[in-house]
Amino acid sequence: MRKILSKLNSITVFIITGVMLGLTGLLIFFFLSYSKTLSRTEQDVTYDKYYVMITDEAESSFWKSVYDAALKTAKEENAYVEMISNNLSRDYSQTELMEIAIASDVDGIIVTAGESERMTELINRAYEAGIPVVTLFNDNTQSERLSFVGVGNYNLGKEYGNLIIKMANEKMFPGNRIKVTVLVDAGSEDSGQNVLAAAIQDTIAKENGENAGRHKPIEVSLVAVDASNNFSVEESVRNLFVQGSTKIPSIVVCLNENDTNSVYQAVVDYNQVGLVNILGYYDSEAILKGIERDVIYATLSIDTQQLGQYCVDALTEYYELGNTSQYFTADSYVINKKNVNEYRGEAVDEK
Amino acid sequence: MKNKLKNLPIRIKMTGISLAVNMLVFMINIVLLIAMNNMSDKIDTVYQANLQLNEISTSIKTVQDSMVEYLGTKTSDSLENYYRSAQEFSELTENLNYRITGSTLGRMERSIKNMSSLYLEEVGQTIDAKRGRNVEKYRTRYEEATKLYGYINTYIYSLNNEQFKENSESYRRMLDAFRQFEVAGNLIMVVVILTSTVLILKLTSNIIRPLRSLTGMADEVAKGNFEIDTIPVNSSDEIGVVTKAFNKMVVNIQEYIEKMRESAETERLLKEKELMMETHLKDAQLKYLQAQINPHFLFNTLNAGAQLAMMEGADKTYEYVQVMAEFFRYNVKKGTRTVTIGEELELVDNYIYILNVRFSGDIHYEKEVDKSLLNVEMPSMILQPIIENCVNHGIREMMGEGRIKMKVYAMDDTACIRIEDNGIGMDEETVDRLRNGRPVSDDKKDSNGIGMDNVYARLKLFAGTDDVLSIESDGPGKGSRFTIYLDIKEKRDV
Repeated sequence: MRKILSKLNSITVFIITGVMLGLTGLLIFFFLSYSKTLSRTEQDVTYDKYYVMITDEAESSFWKSVYDAALKTAKEENAYVEMISNNLSRDYSQTELMEIAIASDVDGIIVTAGESERMTELINRAYEAGIPVVTLFNDNTQSERLSFVGVGNYNLGKEYGNLIIKMANEKMFPGNRIKVTVLVDAGSEDSGQNVLAAAIQDTIAKENGENAGRHKPIEVSLVAVDASNNFSVEESVRNLFVQGSTKIPSIVVCLNENDTNSVYQAVVDYNQVGLVNILGYYDSEAILKGIERDVIYATLSIDTQQLGQYCVDALTEYYELGNTSQYFTADSYVINKKNVNEYRGEAVDEK
Repeated sequence: MKNKLKNLPIRIKMTGISLAVNMLVFMINIVLLIAMNNMSDKIDTVYQANLQLNEISTSIKTVQDSMVEYLGTKTSDSLENYYRSAQEFSELTENLNYRITGSTLGRMERSIKNMSSLYLEEVGQTIDAKRGRNVEKYRTRYEEATKLYGYINTYIYSLNNEQFKENSESYRRMLDAFRQFEVAGNLIMVVVILTSTVLILKLTSNIIRPLRSLTGMADEVAKGNFEIDTIPVNSSDEIGVVTKAFNKMVVNIQEYIEKMRESAETERLLKEKELMMETHLKDAQLKYLQAQINPHFLFNTLNAGAQLAMMEGADKTYEYVQVMAEFFRYNVKKGTRTVTIGEELELVDNYIYILNVRFSGDIHYEKEVDKSLLNVEMPSMILQPIIENCVNHGIREMMGEGRIKMKVYAMDDTACIRIEDNGIGMDEETVDRLRNGRPVSDDKKDSNGIGMDNVYARLKLFAGTDDVLSIESDGPGKGSRFTIYLDIKEKRDV
């Protein structure tokens, strides 16, 4: 100890002390600034416009994807899009959420409207209050909505029809008819879905007429799925499978993400893999996996990026130019076993 | 500056060090405390927003209640209540955020604010309609207002929840940071304490170091070693003063010791001188005494005596004195040198002559000399002392005619000189004593001063061997025989 001490001349001692003090100061400074950053939130960022998105089934990955795209686009325009149902502790209906949005005096509403009168009334109320409304996916044609952003439902239906025909040609089905069940939303006043279902039926009817004999006749039936509450979809889908093997359809067409997931699960649970073919909707991870495992024959994917982006574009254009086009149509693709990996690769790349 | 510091008294230095270190620790403590306070304040403010929301919630409830009361009872009290609570509610919502923020909380606040103003409007219209008794209108307005009330409440509740979630999150993070800070603070304190300990040790050792070297030196001095260097003094505190005094003391002692040594040296020199003088004096006295019996002087005086005798015509006296002079001159001249056998024989002749004159012809001296050996070298004053010994101890004590026979002859490479007498002879003891070179007696009254021991010693030194003199006697009354053996090689060139 003494030796070490004697080696330290006073200059080194002073240097050591200085360094220690400096280190202490640095540490304290670091912690002070750290504690400051702790209390700082995103509040510092502000936006010019505040849009609200109201969708049914807001938690599904489809709508999430749409919302993300909308938010991304909005932020580029210095606006913010909010899925207000996500922040509220109570579950409100779309109309209630519309009322809230109007009362909150937002700068724009994006809503999956449907053709109900109440919705028309609300959209008109918003319009009167100076709030532009963009209907998304499900239009409300009677209202004073600014634009409709959706998919070409008739084309989509034709696409499903073609997929069904393709399957009828490729595969062997039991019985003397190929039973196709299209799941539609029971409570929906949604014209889009109706158009879609009609398109499927048209396509099949045409096929049955033109190419009779090339395959067993195809029988398309619409089954209403009760989507009035959170669990009814699952129940409705299960009902399909518990009615006896002769009544179980060979092909099930799902027109939304939730139905697809439910049917997929039911097919697995009731040991119907290979017997029941699913035509799905949307490209969530679970659905893509179903395609890989041959449970889901194909799925129609809608470009959610475009959906989200168009909604915000319409509002931005309205604020910039005073008006915008009435219709925006997003692209759709068929994803099947052949291109699923490709698609997935792209999706990964995008991320 | 540094010198000034050095010159401070130790007490102040020590106090200064401890003050400085304490201040350091104190300051860092204060800084840490401030930082911690800061953080805990932040934690306190975290829930401030929740409190505000609760106030709003209470306030809107009062508005709604007073409205309902008024609609039901139409009392002025309830109306008054309504106005007051509406005012209060309006003020409360005024403070809410109105910007479109990145955070959900801010946006929700904005929605609450907007909805609240609409709500107040609706309530106002309801009250107005009630006052105007427009039943249809106030009913629909009331329904609208109540719906809005529900929405606002949900929003407040949800916002409260969201806020609580976020606050809990930030509280947790803050708490984490607080813990980390605590650890860091403790670390810092440890570091500071260690540093200050090192600092104190260093500084005090700076102060103590001269004291330590002083102790070491004092130890040396105590052991008696004064040959030490002076301790450097670089401060004028107490230790500096003591060190200076010590240095001075050591120097003084050194000087004192030096002085003592010098005086001792002088004394010694004086004593030496005195002794020398004494010796010289003694020497001079001796010289003086010697001068009195200088053989030259004796020889010269004898010569003078001889000349006087010649002038007076006393031939015998002249001859005697002359021989005596010769005898003494030999002593003078050859006293210490090597001589020849011939010269020694001559001295013996003179000696016998003097003895015979002295003792009126008692001694018959015969010699038989091999003339070729006369030049053989030998030490001086050898034969005469032997003859003297023969006369003194052999012949003089006997009755009848004394005889001394001298024979010089060669034996191989050795020249032998034999001296025989017919005196009383010697007993074994005397012979032994002579052989061993010890004096037989200390009777010197008639002697030339050179004893047999001396003769024997010189012969041995000259020849380098012990076998140089043999002394024989056939017993008391039968005479004695001395034989000297000399190496012929030691012949002097004539």
